[in-house]
Amino acid sequence: MSFTFDAQITAALFDNSGAIFTLGDGSVRFEDGSYNAVHDGAILCAAVHPSGDGVVTGGDDGRVIWSRKTEAGVLATSVNGQWIDSIDASPESKLIAFSSGKTLSVIDATDVYFRRDYAHERTVSGVAFDPKGRRIAASTYGGCALWYARIEKQKPTMLKWAGSHTGVAFSPDGNFVVTMMQDAQLHGWRLKDSKDMRMGGYPSKVRSVAFLSNGQLMATSGAQGAVLWPFIGANGPMGREATEIGYDEGSLVTLVAARPKHGVLAAGLSDGRVWWADPAGQGLNFVKADRGAPIAALALSPDGRLVAWADEDGNAGVVEA
Amino acid sequence: MTDTVAAKIPVTVLTGYLGAGKTTLLNRILTEDHGKRYAVIVNEFGEIGIDNDLVVGADEDVFEMNNGCVCCTVRGDLIRVVAGLMKRQRPGKPAFDAIIVETTGLADPGPVAQTFFVDEDVKAKTQLDSVTALVDAKHVMARLDDSKEAREQVAFADRIILNKTDLASEAELIAVEQRLRKLNPLAPITRAERANVPLDQVLGLGGFDLERILDINPEFANPAHGEVGHVHDEHCGHDHHDHDHGHDHGHDGDHHHGARGHAHNDDIKGVSLSLDRPLNGVKFTNWLDRLLGEQGQNILRAKGIIDVQGEDRRMVFQAVHMILEGDLQREWGATERRWSRAVFIGRDLDEAALKAGFEACAA
Repeated sequence: MSFTFDAQITAALFDNSGAIFTLGDGSVRFEDGSYNAVHDGAILCAAVHPSGDGVVTGGDDGRVIWSRKTEAGVLATSVNGQWIDSIDASPESKLIAFSSGKTLSVIDATDVYFRRDYAHERTVSGVAFDPKGRRIAASTYGGCALWYARIEKQKPTMLKWAGSHTGVAFSPDGNFVVTMMQDAQLHGWRLKDSKDMRMGGYPSKVRSVAFLSNGQLMATSGAQGAVLWPFIGANGPMGREATEIGYDEGSLVTLVAARPKHGVLAAGLSDGRVWWADPAGQGLNFVKADRGAPIAALALSPDGRLVAWADEDGNAGVVEA
Repeated sequence: MTDTVAAKIPVTVLTGYLGAGKTTLLNRILTEDHGKRYAVIVNEFGEIGIDNDLVVGADEDVFEMNNGCVCCTVRGDLIRVVAGLMKRQRPGKPAFDAIIVETTGLADPGPVAQTFFVDEDVKAKTQLDSVTALVDAKHVMARLDDSKEAREQVAFADRIILNKTDLASEAELIAVEQRLRKLNPLAPITRAERANVPLDQVLGLGGFDLERILDINPEFANPAHGEVGHVHDEHCGHDHHDHDHGHDHGHDGDHHHGARGHAHNDDIKGVSLSLDRPLNGVKFTNWLDRLLGEQGQNILRAKGIIDVQGEDRRMVFQAVHMILEGDLQREWGATERRWSRAVFIGRDLDEAALKAGFEACAA
């Protein structure tokens, strides 16, 4: 299935019903062609709603909106109407976390009256729930703040590392936090002792990370192939080498997508191609082999069988791997 | 499907001390009937759409890069805002005709400019067009005396708009222009009242475009008329009364702020270097790298066009602190004077040492 949209595609996701694309014109497009024009201005970030039905999006209108095929409603607005830069949602705790400027906010999908706002010294660039949805990591300049999602008054645990952190992820076992950095590297912390992990050697900024194989591998973009870091045992990737699959000198991997429960990986390239691979097996399966504009959004379905992709020219598709 | 090379969106950085007239100029840009779509990034928050335009708040989030170099600072908020603006882009069309970044009166334009060189995402989508400084003709002398930021803003500019000229006498204006030119010999000075400068002299200048370095101010390495060391070449052949560079003609004979600048002990100055013999390319590159590595913190801007021995093309470079870009550009014209020129603008520069270092690069 393929689509052409007249606006930038800012995210691709799979909810219970299928693929969903969010766009720079503020609309949410469902795979069956139905769409909601929900934001005034671009959609900057998106996550699947904790119920698995539809998506929650943050826009440059300062609103968080829940869109389903038939309806859409505002769940929250940012302080001062600032752009909503990042969002995450937890199916386990039913909480939604989003950031605007220096503020991390938490709302509850099942309780309209619940809201927490946590202030940071510097702008929050990314938010991520731990696997249970009880803690939230917020990446910012100089490191990462860990908050308990429901506690009103608290001091966050600060994970410090000099430099600008541009996005964050929790390992599926909840033992590690990894941030992407402005200067083409990753940084990680083992939570039990705040031990630092430096993961470098990238030729380009790392824009996306994804866990697969029961959390034993973390795939990343930012190199000529998909970089795979081992997350095995108590030490995670400490003292271990990363491997790279799908190396191609002429292109960069711009995005990766995976599911912790499955052993497969999808990668989108700067030359418009998209592949799907099983790192334990052989070879790459190009689900989009023709070249074009850089891949701008990528998602793998929950069962690991479908890939949704979009490029910078407004083309998008959903293909079987 | 074909590869698309989307045009990069030009970015103008508007700087100037409090009260210099930035807001007046911005209001004009936003309200004049020009049929263009601008995104304006300002410090005071508020997303006010004016017809086609968008005004976005920034928060001066300056941060150091992790390369351990203290002068390589960028603005994190700009990276974020520019990335957001790009999401408004429609396939094949730029999101905006131009982006204008207004810095507050006290802000250092350095980190703003460097953001457009350092961040790979920003660099891929935008191109820094120029840093334009507005100065208040009546009050700028006092500001330059008491404010390091005011001196840096002038030193950093690709163009200076001397505003509120109706409030100063001609003699005062000439004195101001001379002092501005000592701080920054690169930037043409345009006089204005109530910021009434034509918009095409603010937007679309190509001040950071290597290919256009000469076109902006052909005489940038040539001391002004009447000053020591001024060289007449084909660029000076025209009628002095038609001059639009706003440079000093030295005709008034009332030269108390003259070439030696003894009246003001500015810590920032521009040093112009030139050489009529070709330079050794390797020697020059090594010298420039070392110079920027050692003194990049104090060097705000540098630009130059170099005649490299054995090379038919002009070597053009520019730097913001330690961040350097350079390239071999078009061939020297048949009638063009082949010479090397460079200007360094910075704090506590040792003019004699710079001159000696530059000349030691001769082939």
